[in-house]
Amino acid sequence: MVKISVLQHAPSTHLPARPGDPTPTSRNLDPLMHPFARARERTRALNAVKMERIFAKPFIAALEGHVDAVETMARKPGTLNVVASGSWDGGMIVHDISLRRHILRVDEAHKGKISGVCFADEDRLLTCGVDRNVKLWDTREVDENGAGPSDVRKPLNVFPGKSAFNSIDHHRTDPIFATASNIVQIWDETKSAPISNLSFPTSIETISAIKFNLSESSVLASIGSDRTFTLYDIRTGKAERRIVMQMRSNALSWSPTFPTTILLASEDHNLYTFDIRSLKTPSQIYKAHVAAVMSCDWSPTGHQFVSGGWDRTVRIWQEGRGTAPEVYHTKRMQRVTSTLFTSDAKYVLSGSDDGNIRIWKARAHEKLGILDSRERAAIEYRESLKQKWKTDAQVNKISRSDFLSLFASVYIVADRQLSSLSRTRHIPKPVHKAGQLKRTMLEAQRVKEERRRKHTRAGESKPTAEKRKVVIAEQS
Amino acid sequence: MDSLIAKADSLRPVSKRRKLDNGSSSKPKPSGSDDHTLHSINQHTAVPKSLRPTSPPPENAKSYSHIQNPKLRQKLTRESAHAARAKALVQDAELLLQEDAGGMQVEGEMEKTWRVGQDEVVKASGQEAAKGRKEWTLDGGPYRSRYTRNGRHLAVVGKKGHVATFDWQTGTLHSELQLQETCRDITFLHDHSHYAVAQKKYVFIYDRDGVELHRLKSHIEPTRLEFLPYHWLLASVGNTGYLKYQDTSTGQLVVEHRTKLGACTTMAQNHHNAVIHLGHQNGTVTLWTPNLPHPAVQLLAHLGPVVGLSVDPSTGGRYMATSGQDGLVKVWDCRNWKGAVRTWQARGGVGEVEWSQRGALAVASGGSVNVYTKPSIQTPFAPVTPPPLYLTHPIPHRPLTSLRFCPFNDILTIGHNAGLSSILVPGSGEPNFDSSEADPFENKKQRREREVKSLLDKIQPDMISVDPDFVGSLAPEPKLSTAVTENAKNEIPFARLPRYERLRVQGKADETEMMSADEAENAEGDDDEKKTKGKEEKEKRKMRGKNKSLKRYLRKQRKNVIDPRAVAVREKLAKQREEREKRRKAEAQGGEGERKPSALDRFKRAS
Repeated sequence: MVKISVLQHAPSTHLPARPGDPTPTSRNLDPLMHPFARARERTRALNAVKMERIFAKPFIAALEGHVDAVETMARKPGTLNVVASGSWDGGMIVHDISLRRHILRVDEAHKGKISGVCFADEDRLLTCGVDRNVKLWDTREVDENGAGPSDVRKPLNVFPGKSAFNSIDHHRTDPIFATASNIVQIWDETKSAPISNLSFPTSIETISAIKFNLSESSVLASIGSDRTFTLYDIRTGKAERRIVMQMRSNALSWSPTFPTTILLASEDHNLYTFDIRSLKTPSQIYKAHVAAVMSCDWSPTGHQFVSGGWDRTVRIWQEGRGTAPEVYHTKRMQRVTSTLFTSDAKYVLSGSDDGNIRIWKARAHEKLGILDSRERAAIEYRESLKQKWKTDAQVNKISRSDFLSLFASVYIVADRQLSSLSRTRHIPKPVHKAGQLKRTMLEAQRVKEERRRKHTRAGESKPTAEKRKVVIAEQS
Repeated sequence: MDSLIAKADSLRPVSKRRKLDNGSSSKPKPSGSDDHTLHSINQHTAVPKSLRPTSPPPENAKSYSHIQNPKLRQKLTRESAHAARAKALVQDAELLLQEDAGGMQVEGEMEKTWRVGQDEVVKASGQEAAKGRKEWTLDGGPYRSRYTRNGRHLAVVGKKGHVATFDWQTGTLHSELQLQETCRDITFLHDHSHYAVAQKKYVFIYDRDGVELHRLKSHIEPTRLEFLPYHWLLASVGNTGYLKYQDTSTGQLVVEHRTKLGACTTMAQNHHNAVIHLGHQNGTVTLWTPNLPHPAVQLLAHLGPVVGLSVDPSTGGRYMATSGQDGLVKVWDCRNWKGAVRTWQARGGVGEVEWSQRGALAVASGGSVNVYTKPSIQTPFAPVTPPPLYLTHPIPHRPLTSLRFCPFNDILTIGHNAGLSSILVPGSGEPNFDSSEADPFENKKQRREREVKSLLDKIQPDMISVDPDFVGSLAPEPKLSTAVTENAKNEIPFARLPRYERLRVQGKADETEMMSADEAENAEGDDDEKKTKGKEEKEKRKMRGKNKSLKRYLRKQRKNVIDPRAVAVREKLAKQREEREKRRKAEAQGGEGERKPSALDRFKRAS
């Protein structure tokens, strides 16, 4: 007797039990049931990176109000949306960036340019200007005297100084702050004269910016016009270390997560991170700007930072990756004089010569607003696909993501016309041209150096590492 | 300042920076409990759900504990754990397969499955399955048929121009046309909502209701049609001998290949790599992809026209069956074309051949259809005798023009002069379908969803190749080398070299990982050159051994005095050397089994 069984699907198990129920699905993970799984996944990855580029619309809004260039910005600690800014005409504005309105606006806060703003605590704001004054303001919409946001506000306190101030920073916990002019001065909020002066012996220079360390709050760093970077300790009242660099720095910022890392925005178009335990060489050089870098700020996560340059672009860098930052630009944005990350690391602010503060997304393709769970799952799936296929030449070409050099050449090249070094991202023509010119000049320099080396006695002149060229002298 | 530095040192000491360790350090790794950073944040944070391990890492995952770079090590370990876990989960998922395949089993040696007739099969099968046995008596034959990918819908076309598409399970007729001209083939496109008919002069595309949508004028006198579902390509071949690919999503004619082998009436696709197989009048079989202007493979299969061609879907397209006018049926191994795996003579002339999803081969020969099953037809067998027959079914209406297995069902549909007949072939259909690929029970909404999804996942036509796994695998080795050799030292300036080469020139490259691979190679290679080279290197290394001071001591003691201490040291050294030798020999014999997995293994070439 032959046993016979014939395959049959019972419709009851494969059809919804009641009308309106979802149809039951069945899975068979046998790879033979899923032909071209890899090729299809690659197509999906390709679509994901294309979508990323399609939805890369980083610009959100411009905050108006300043008449002249926005020199400086500071975020209010403990909030996501309050930012104070000072401009060249002496105007000071406290913005609510989520509602895009002014919480406080003082047009004549200082005579001449406001060179620094910082929050003292929750509600009080310190500004300093070239009019040799430091002023303390109440930033609440209606202050104790009943003066509203648009009324003529009077400062709570005025600290007169002897010379024009360039920068100000408040101590993290104590009621003291530091100012930078031709020397570094430490002030007590309750006293009208500085409590101490700090300067490196034998230095006569203008200090252009100072910042307190975020972790060890009595350590202070400054940069000066003598191409110097100096470290002070306010407890000893002394300058501890100093380095002289090839070019002067324009801005500095301490890493929020790693206490000894500091970021310097240099006049030589580069940014440098230093580990202050070994100041001989920078730990990383960040090269992409085609003009002087004017400002920089760390993301609160410590994984990214933003920089604004004289080349009218804002760039967002990954920590430790010295090239290929995200570039933001608009037609009307002029020289970027100040940049800031918001406290949630989601947005970037840039203040420029045209008097506007612009709000950008930190990740250009991110969708704002509430996501439902299915959409979030789709986004996460796309992200992981991008991560998985980033070494594919075509995917990489579109996303211009990580390591171009090593892995891209190893993996299969699907399209023949790929040139792995072609940068497909659009940047303004002047920036592009300046970059070309810069590259030509550097190439010529390199060739010259190499020829010179070829014609000297063997071993006489050795090439110096780029990192070794940055610091000229280390003093302590 | 000091406290700041101390704080930073506890996170990451400055000496750790850019440290090139040579893998000989044996100091204990700091365990997780000593991690200051972790401690400082652990109290305030919770690891996101997505980062939490769902289960402890599986035991068979590769371990990379010997890799120095902690980031790389962590990444590799995580990846290998993920891969092992995924593998285990896939194995678990097999338990979830609900349905069992059909089949026929004999009890004694004297019983034969081929003696079982269709009446018995129908009697033994369930009510649903018995619906599959059908006879459609139609005029205007001979008929050809085609199922959709989910096996739900059937399209039939008669030579005289009768076209019908219908849901064979419910018996719903979608469209019926009398085209009143010669029709040679029919195929559904991505699903049952469109179908293409190869008519007298051109290919026409109709929608589900039978409304003519397109006349593809570039396909002239087509004889056979195939649709590649993942690439959305409609391939046709005709009396002119041109193979043409039309993209049905964009409407473009992607490419046309001149076969130079005359009119062609036999065509099949490999479902696993989308290669089109053509059988020609002179007995050759050619394999085509859109990106090659010539056949990827060309073989002389028969001494006479090729009449039937099919590729086995159950083995990932590894086997191909052909039948020729010379009366032979041959099964070929697609990885190795040197001769057929099995050849047999079919009695009474041979027609089409067709593989089912689970690897049953149907052969139309003379007035009957014979079905053979898997292991015997694919095992190499020299004598020209037919493999054991599984099932046979006589049909009195010659010629038998088409054979089609219904996906996910045990049904074989035979087209012949008097219409079509469906017979039950137990064990031919895949029992478990995947709803994400093809679902026989899908509703309208799911069908639409699938259409959009598959359009988004459409693979570009130039990705078709004989080996479908080339996507995402290693590229062939570049011909242009940047490696620095002795004589070509000054050709490429230092600054132009890739980073790794520069590091190697400077002697700073971390070659700890490469070294192990080299050693393995050395152990394997028997070339004299290699040996001498190895010896040279060894000589070189000898000078700077670890035991330099010991050797110096021995050298200084080299006198005619028998110092017990020196003798002891010499003995110790000899012992060490012996041990080393032994270990190396064991390694050479054991091959690469003992070698630790390396991060660079993924770039290892197969050859």
